[in-house]
Amino acid sequence: MIAILIAVTGKGGTGKTLVSAMLVLHLCKKGSLLAVDADPDSNLPEAFGVEVERTLGDIREIFQSSRDEIKGDKEIWFEAKIFEVVKELDNFDLLVMGRPEGEGCYCYTNNILRAILKKFMRHYDFVVVDCEAGLEHFSRKTIAGVNYLIVVSDTSRKGLRTAERISELMEELNINARKGLIGNKVIDKRSENLIREFAENSGFKFLGSLPYDEKVVECEMMGKSVVDLMKTNCSFVREFEKIVKNLESWVVLCQS
Amino acid sequence: MAERKKVEIPENVKVKVSEGEEYDFPVDISPMHEGERIRKGEMYVELAGPKQPGFELVMALPEDQVEDMKVTIVGKDLDELEEGKAHPFAMIYYVAGEKIDTDLEPIIERRNHDFQNYIEGVMHLNQRYDVWIRVGKKAVEKGLKSLATIAKAVMLLFKNEMPFIEKIEAVYATDREFVEKTLKEVAMPIYEERDARVESLHDEDVEEFYSCTLCQSFAPSDVCIISPDRPSLCGAITWFDGRAAARVDPEGPNKAVPKGEIIDPIGGEYSGVNEFAKNESGGVTERIKLHSFLEYPHPSCGCFEVIGFYMPEVDGIGWIHRGYPEPAPNGLTFSTMAGQTGGGKQVVGFLGIGISYFRSKKFIQADGGWYRVVWMPKELKQKVLQYIPEDMRDKIATEEDAKTMEELKEFLKRVDHPVVKGVVRPVDGKKITEGWLEEKEEETEEEVEEEKVEQQPTQPMEFMQLSQLQPQSLQPVIKLTIKNATIKIDKIIVKKKE
Ligand SMILES: Nc1ncnc2c1ncn2[C@@H]1O[C@H](COP(=O)(O)OP(=O)(O)OP(=O)(O)O)[C@@H](O)[C@H]1O
Ligand code: SF4
Ligand SMILES: [Mg+2]
Repeated sequence: MIAILIAVTGKGGTGKTLVSAMLVLHLCKKGSLLAVDADPDSNLPEAFGVEVERTLGDIREIFQSSRDEIKGDKEIWFEAKIFEVVKELDNFDLLVMGRPEGEGCYCYTNNILRAILKKFMRHYDFVVVDCEAGLEHFSRKTIAGVNYLIVVSDTSRKGLRTAERISELMEELNINARKGLIGNKVIDKRSENLIREFAENSGFKFLGSLPYDEKVVECEMMGKSVVDLMKTNCSFVREFEKIVKNLESWVVLCQS
Repeated sequence: MAERKKVEIPENVKVKVSEGEEYDFPVDISPMHEGERIRKGEMYVELAGPKQPGFELVMALPEDQVEDMKVTIVGKDLDELEEGKAHPFAMIYYVAGEKIDTDLEPIIERRNHDFQNYIEGVMHLNQRYDVWIRVGKKAVEKGLKSLATIAKAVMLLFKNEMPFIEKIEAVYATDREFVEKTLKEVAMPIYEERDARVESLHDEDVEEFYSCTLCQSFAPSDVCIISPDRPSLCGAITWFDGRAAARVDPEGPNKAVPKGEIIDPIGGEYSGVNEFAKNESGGVTERIKLHSFLEYPHPSCGCFEVIGFYMPEVDGIGWIHRGYPEPAPNGLTFSTMAGQTGGGKQVVGFLGIGISYFRSKKFIQADGGWYRVVWMPKELKQKVLQYIPEDMRDKIATEEDAKTMEELKEFLKRVDHPVVKGVVRPVDGKKITEGWLEEKEEETEEEVEEEKVEQQPTQPMEFMQLSQLQPQSLQPVIKLTIKNATIKIDKIIVKKKE
């Protein structure tokens, strides 16, 4: 069993990728970690300053279209290719799910994929998944066993409404995870309170809020990675440390 | 057949032999360790893999030739290999047992992957000549110093989990010359022979077919039957895959289906298959003919890669693949026909298949095989051209030759397609259609139908008439059930979508 699988989600542009990347850099000091980029348009690798040539989606499509020409055992072939696309970074591994499915029947393909990912992911202490609000990989059950779902919201109505929708979706999909909420790009106390209130009223654990920070924008513009951002020790980075502490005590509480 | 005999151990190379069972392993052995990645930084050595030659091979030998639980290591052992580097690697197993023959070799060989991965600190990826192994530093620190230990653990697992293996012996090698030579001279011919067998195995050569019920989640009555001559309609599963899956997990989605009595050798009907289909589909499907189009066709769950459609106007069969957006000469698109055929139903007149079924020697043989095929999109035809009998290659129309029924009729007449004068099915030389009798078109068609079903005078299934399926008059595609509801409606406007 994976000890802790955290899915980070929320409305587009709220800072999911940034929060995921920061979480990864913090948690990988505490144990083995797999970072998963499950947003088809996302750029988690970029946040770490690395490039990924091939994604799991590419492999899945090759498998889907040429599976009846694969010699020997298909499952073993598929598994080996997935191992090849997992990128080993200094302190953690990175898997990019990549493009969405094409047309046709993926029953067989996804069934194998599910089994492979399950066997593979259970060996990590932490898995952090950066995903879009539709939670596609969870609805297809290609990624199973999420136990913490963290919604990142800015102070907009839309961001909070997305959090509600995700809550409903989780119920529909029968995802049995604890729900946490992080406010991001917060500019004043009032909007922080707004988010906190929303969280408390909607069954989310409020994990804290992160300020809007020019340093983040600057790093992004200069093409610097989150690793570089961490080094600046700007207010965003300092506040994030508090969130990690909150997250830790929440997890300890939940696991006991 | 490639010869099965023990490989020769070269004399000028260092060889280590270890005999007898070993139970005291320095590392844990359990399925828990499957899927564990050994990262570059944690790796002691890499064996075979992308940078070095290597392979795994299981050979069935006569019982008296196999020395049970013996391991021979050719070349350097684990603790003598240079750390942090990749090395050539071969794993050869000799197996013997009353029930073991060369057919079982690939099934046994497949499990080498699982068992190697059971060993804590050993990662095994891929198969055959693509194997890729990493041994972790931690495992070596714990005392995993010899390849013989790995071999012994794997051999014990083989004997435990596949009790039909009575004797097993292993040769593990890291000597480059030996690995390369044995791969080329011994292993490759055996792999090639196995692949050739995949092509040449037929329904009559086996005792069991396999089922697949993976798609039952959305087509609850669906059941797919996979035989050597009929790969799955989704194109994913061959008889060999089904067999491997059923051996690993007999209660999983792929189960063995004993053939039972043969009822119709040409149509491909078996009592065992019928029985199984009846049970699994909850009585929805009672009979299946694996190689028939017009009689008790194989049900379709909706996952098919290609759909076949009967066109009474020409008494021929067309095929259209997913991804071809235009309508076929019958006026229907792939998705329209798919919507009608899917859901695990048997709909006479339509048949979902996988592209690989075009390769089958028994391809809809009851209905004349390729000699009954009149139309397919060019893209699909190109893909399967080599399987079309040469004398038919120019007689099957594509969208370039015919887009409408009228054009198709013209084309078929011009090329003198067998459907025009009557199809003689190659499998038994029987004339199965009358051809077009243009004077009294309508009645003749009826007669032809009746003659064809002579073996089965009553046809209990609905024969989907083409008229039911015209694009203008589509059958309803949803069923709405409302229970215990109070509905108040002021106005409903139903409009055709433009
Ligand atoms: N606290 C912050 N202060 C300033 N800028 C921020 C902050 N958080 C995120 N941003 C910026 O907002 C943009 C969106 O962030 P990010 O890519 O992490 O969001 P996302 O939710 O992953 O977006 P998408 O939905 O496109 O995947 C980025 O340019 C990022 O640098
Ligand atoms: S369509 Fe393929 S995956 Fe689905 S049940 Fe049939 S064989 Fe199995
Ligand atoms: Mg993102």
